[in-house]
Amino acid sequence: MTTAAAPALLEDTQLSSRAGGLYRHQNIVTGLIGGIGLGAIGWALSHQFLQGSNWGTDMVVTVTMAGWVIGLLLGIGAFNAPVLWMLGHDQTHEDELYLAGVGQGPRRYWKFCTDHKVVGVQYLIAVFTIFGVGGTLAMMIRTQLVSAHSSFLGANAYNAIVSVHGMAMIVATIIMVTGPFGNFIVPIMVGAKDMAFPRLNALSFWLLFAAVPPLLATFVLGGVDAGWTTYAPLSVQAPPAMDAFAITILTFAVSVTLSGINIIVTVLTMRAEGMTLNRLPIFTWGAVIGSALGLYAMPAFMVGMVMMITDRVSGTSFFVAAVGGSGWLWENIFWIMGHPEVYVILIPPVAAMLEVVSTFARKPIFAYKVTVGAFIAIIALSIMVWAHHMFTTGWAPDLNGPFMLTTELISIPTGIIFLCVIGTLWRGSIWTRLPMYWAYLFLWNFIIGGVTGIYLSDVPADNYFHGDMFVTAHFHYTLLGGAMIAAVAAFCYWFPKVSGRMLNERIGKVAFWMVAIGIQITYFGMFWEGFEGMPRRVAYYDPIFLHANQMATVGAYLLMAGFVVLLYAIIHSWVHGRPAPANPWHAKSLEWMVPTPVPLENFLVEPVVTADPYGYGEPEPAAPAAEPEREPVPVGSAETTAGEPV
Amino acid sequence: MSSDLAVKTREPDPLPPEKAPFFSRPSGKIFLIWLAMTVVGVLIGFYAPHHLLPTMLSVEGRAVWATVVLLTVLAAPVAAFVYGVGFYSLVAWRQRGYGQSDEPPPDGPPLRGNSGLTILWLVVSGVLVVVMLVWGLAELASENATHPNSLQVDVTGQQWLWTFSYPGAGNLETRSLVLPDNRTIVFHVTSEDVTHGFWPVELGVQVDANPNVVTTIQATTNKLGAFTVRCSQLCGLYHSFMYASGAVVTPQAFAVWLHAHGASALTASDVARVSSSS
Amino acid sequence: MSEKPGRERKPKALGIILTFVAVAIGVAVVAILFHAQTYTSPVGTQVAKSVGTVTVNGQTLQHVTLAFNTYPDASGSVDGQAIHPGGNPSWPSYGPTNQFQVPAHALVTVTMRQYDSGGSLNNPWFATVRGTVGSVARINGRLVHAVNPNNVGHTFTVRGAPGTDPGFFVNVPLPAVPGNNQSDNGQYETVIFSFVSGSQGVYGWNCEYPCGTSVAGFGGPMSAFGYMSGFLHVV
Ligand SMILES: [Cu+2]
Ligand SMILES: [Cu+2]
Repeated sequence: MTTAAAPALLEDTQLSSRAGGLYRHQNIVTGLIGGIGLGAIGWALSHQFLQGSNWGTDMVVTVTMAGWVIGLLLGIGAFNAPVLWMLGHDQTHEDELYLAGVGQGPRRYWKFCTDHKVVGVQYLIAVFTIFGVGGTLAMMIRTQLVSAHSSFLGANAYNAIVSVHGMAMIVATIIMVTGPFGNFIVPIMVGAKDMAFPRLNALSFWLLFAAVPPLLATFVLGGVDAGWTTYAPLSVQAPPAMDAFAITILTFAVSVTLSGINIIVTVLTMRAEGMTLNRLPIFTWGAVIGSALGLYAMPAFMVGMVMMITDRVSGTSFFVAAVGGSGWLWENIFWIMGHPEVYVILIPPVAAMLEVVSTFARKPIFAYKVTVGAFIAIIALSIMVWAHHMFTTGWAPDLNGPFMLTTELISIPTGIIFLCVIGTLWRGSIWTRLPMYWAYLFLWNFIIGGVTGIYLSDVPADNYFHGDMFVTAHFHYTLLGGAMIAAVAAFCYWFPKVSGRMLNERIGKVAFWMVAIGIQITYFGMFWEGFEGMPRRVAYYDPIFLHANQMATVGAYLLMAGFVVLLYAIIHSWVHGRPAPANPWHAKSLEWMVPTPVPLENFLVEPVVTADPYGYGEPEPAAPAAEPEREPVPVGSAETTAGEPV
Repeated sequence: MSSDLAVKTREPDPLPPEKAPFFSRPSGKIFLIWLAMTVVGVLIGFYAPHHLLPTMLSVEGRAVWATVVLLTVLAAPVAAFVYGVGFYSLVAWRQRGYGQSDEPPPDGPPLRGNSGLTILWLVVSGVLVVVMLVWGLAELASENATHPNSLQVDVTGQQWLWTFSYPGAGNLETRSLVLPDNRTIVFHVTSEDVTHGFWPVELGVQVDANPNVVTTIQATTNKLGAFTVRCSQLCGLYHSFMYASGAVVTPQAFAVWLHAHGASALTASDVARVSSSS
Repeated sequence: MSEKPGRERKPKALGIILTFVAVAIGVAVVAILFHAQTYTSPVGTQVAKSVGTVTVNGQTLQHVTLAFNTYPDASGSVDGQAIHPGGNPSWPSYGPTNQFQVPAHALVTVTMRQYDSGGSLNNPWFATVRGTVGSVARINGRLVHAVNPNNVGHTFTVRGAPGTDPGFFVNVPLPAVPGNNQSDNGQYETVIFSFVSGSQGVYGWNCEYPCGTSVAGFGGPMSAFGYMSGFLHVV
């Protein structure tokens, strides 16, 4: 195999016309046909046989939405191979290559494709789409709140939009880093040819794809009026939209679980020779630790939602106090999922951002092992803090003290992250390219999010702030200002590798300043509302909160405009951008050692790792992560193949 | 490729020699930034609660105020330190001329950690956590202490109205909450339908109203004034309409109010007026 | 593909167009969903009829009237106007509209016909007439200040959006007609009451009798704007 021809060789392999079998004819169109078809069959059958019962409409919606999910997966070919196995056949190597997208060009992005890089890009587009929907809903919320008694939305639509905004953003932020970069980058980073379970990988994406339409369908099914937390019994009483919402969550939770297992197994078992655990890039640690926590959190969500569905469609009463259940049961299950879940969101982007800080400070990560330990300590503690969301519910008041303890303890490992960032910046050679801008913004925002979090961890203060806009501002500072901004840093960092193009930094910096200022205006407005005592999730408010709300709305428009400008920079660069060299940042981890665009199976020669990827300023033996003489493609030659639209 | 990645350690090291005066060294300058930002943070800690929180009418409300001040004062030096190092690095160590460059600046020094600093960091954050925790537990204990001569008020949440009744006063049931000054009020809170959040804002306490369960919370009034009860838990369509007005009044005025509302409000002249107008 | 590094030489139009298309699609999708979300609520606002002035407690006030009814299902029509065009026809509903407009500080006399059956209130507090003139209502010709809390069809309960006149509150229980749940047998109870409207602002009214779905009876029509809820605009 000659080095120059290698990438082309795999792309242009002529597969026989039978490779892939049935799968040759399956793509997103057959998937949609399958989904809509089976959904329609489910609707017809359930409408015929179940509509008359007490819970008729709820059953019909549940069956229809479940039909959509299963039909979509059948239609797109997710179950072809398992069916073949059951029939005693197996897929050939050619079939596997076809499944990995060989010879299909851009069409493979619309198919059930097992190439981890294709799945990564699919996730990326999905994340942008969901953020777009969630952001637009946020703008509608802020527009309603621009005056105290606005008639822009009305209470029904407002509640429905608040619920879907919350859930859409949670879905998108959970996958925003582990989806695109956990799939695209992690296998390359550890020196693997693909994920451990490529077919499961494709399945996890298409499950996510299937999960989104039911969420949007809630708008035409009466709207979920219980918020994304869907506290019972309000959620049991909610319109049939709640059934679609539950199907979304079940599907999404399966998707996150599968993708988490995949990332963990990949990193544990498929590392290149010499990639010992203490040479792992910190982002890999973050992806594994975040995914592991997801394995703890998501099953609780699944179980809770199954109980919610049975309460709604069959008259069980897990969560209905009037007939023997308990709303507190739901609240516990929800937050046993919900608090770990914020660290599922947070840890991968923060770890990715640490890569950015190291690369652009031209220094090794400071206190690498302590930081990895801090991540592990965070997830260990995070499963014991859930009831701090329930300080004011009246459930187990005697446990308020212990939960205050665990909650405040978690600020110690979280503080280590700050130590790691500022230790890495200390005396660094700060290279102010676009990713570093976002890393600094993370630092600014996350401190504010953290400091305001300690008020809420204190029970007597939480007795005031709970359920008011202060909480909203706090978690937007941590999840948007912290996690999402860190994810944007990671995105700008890996964009050249994923797209083969350089991101336009001039437009990107305009977006940066709009977003940075927008966040401060928006959420300081909300802190102000919170101090004054404005409850969350209200469509109409006392005019005493008017100025704070107007401030938040102005900031939110600026924030959204900033993200639209960023979207423009991304699309523009993806189409017209300067072709990217293989290693534009002169970083040292393995994903920068492979050519751009990354060939199928990533490495032409299996890499051997001799040091961790942070050897900045250190003498030669530790410098390149891959052995240079075994790396077949010189960095410069990548430019001749770069720029293929992906 | 290896030549690309050749180590280019920055020369000369920008650190002034150790015998330079403290304030011209990075650590000295960061100390000054830290000091200034800490002062700003502490000022915010006193300003924000004082000007933004409503006037609190209870002991618990004052505790919220004090807690916010204390926690801000504790957090300010930590935040100021992170900001100080972060932004000093941006100003002092930014490699000018590399912002648009495809070539990276020379590498920084390979500092991989400092166990002394890490331990110090852990100890400081541990101490802060202990201080926070002791404060919180003390506040919690005083808020849960039982008081003699407390007044029980039953609170009922329903979609989308609060009603209040005074079991000690002939089960008078009202839609506004009138409380006597200088008295511990024990709220017994429940709901007729879904979960609501009983939040008398200016009393600085809240507890959820759950169906089929009675939750309690207490507040000791210490100031006369009007307050608002809001619903802090999303409860459906008219959640935002779910509020009630309240007032802390003198014990004498409270007694008068109880007496006045105990009687039937229907009078003969009222009846006459309605009959004539319809 | 053969583009060489350097300043972007291609027209930038494609990037702009793609961004625009992406944003437009996003906004369009949300707008369509939003349109579907603005649940069919009865159209139009009933503006109170002025019928002169009246003296209450020594004050001369403008006197206006409103007339509306409660129906066991939303399928019917009033004066040729459907109660809920496109809504859920089987739900009980106020009609012909749920939006009323009255002048500030005026005496408002409401005449209602209550066609629905009923049962027990969740909270008997709402069985008492509150906030009307004299705290009474004229039900089938008799002045009452409370009804049987176990025989209520619906209630008309008004309070303001946050920050409006806290003193303005009206609660009138509407007794049930005999019969099974939601039997439209043409029987009705006539309820007449008067109240003095508060200062300007948006006031919300809703029903406090659990005539909806689910355990506490507040699902379905009780939680969907327009059936058992609406606005009283005081101008
Ligand atoms: Cu409520
Ligand atoms: Cu009703």
